[in-house]
Amino acid sequence: MTGPSRTQVLALYKQTLRNANGFNNYNFKHYFLRKARTQFRDLKDLKDPAAIEKAFSAAQRELGVLKRQSVISQMYTFDKQVVEPLDGKKTQR
Amino acid sequence: MFSSLLRGSTIALRTASARSALRPVAAISRTSLVSPLRAYSTGLNRDDISARVIDVVKAFDKTTASAQVTADTHFAKDLGLDSLDTVELLVAIEEEFDVEIPDKVADEIKSVAEAVQYIASNPEAN
Repeated sequence: MTGPSRTQVLALYKQTLRNANGFNNYNFKHYFLRKARTQFRDLKDLKDPAAIEKAFSAAQRELGVLKRQSVISQMYTFDKQVVEPLDGKKTQR
Repeated sequence: MFSSLLRGSTIALRTASARSALRPVAAISRTSLVSPLRAYSTGLNRDDISARVIDVVKAFDKTTASAQVTADTHFAKDLGLDSLDTVELLVAIEEEFDVEIPDKVADEIKSVAEAVQYIASNPEAN
């Protein structure tokens, strides 16, 4: 059984980042962005196909949770944190 | 008698011409229902896109501060970004322009010029 391809892993990473960005709450959003970055980076040198497969499916399950929670977070409004820019557009992350 | 006949024929002609004039209008509205053509904006200026992409790349925290970001900058070669960094950068660019870059295309984007090219070709970018 072959593990997930490079493209699949990158696509998963992108989905994870995009859904983390969907969080309304600054703290959750940046927590999940940091978490995704460190997790993918820590496992980037993984060689064993079985371990890769395991990590990949774990990350997929987490993405499912993340998707649901980010949608839920959009149903509730939070006060902006002081560090957040008030206008919609932000290039700084 | 003849005149009334003539008048009748001209009326018939007029209605016929009116109908034929109406027909293309109806045809146009029907086709526009099939494929709605929407124009939200006049499209983005290529130089603006390029400037905004460069700003995003500069704001990206893994870009080395001393690096010169120009329109021809290559993500991996000039900025030393790996594939994960490139994905992060593309997500930032997606956010800036409110688009979603499909995975197949995103795989091919490896430089500022290619990103600008894609955004320019995407009508939904703004």
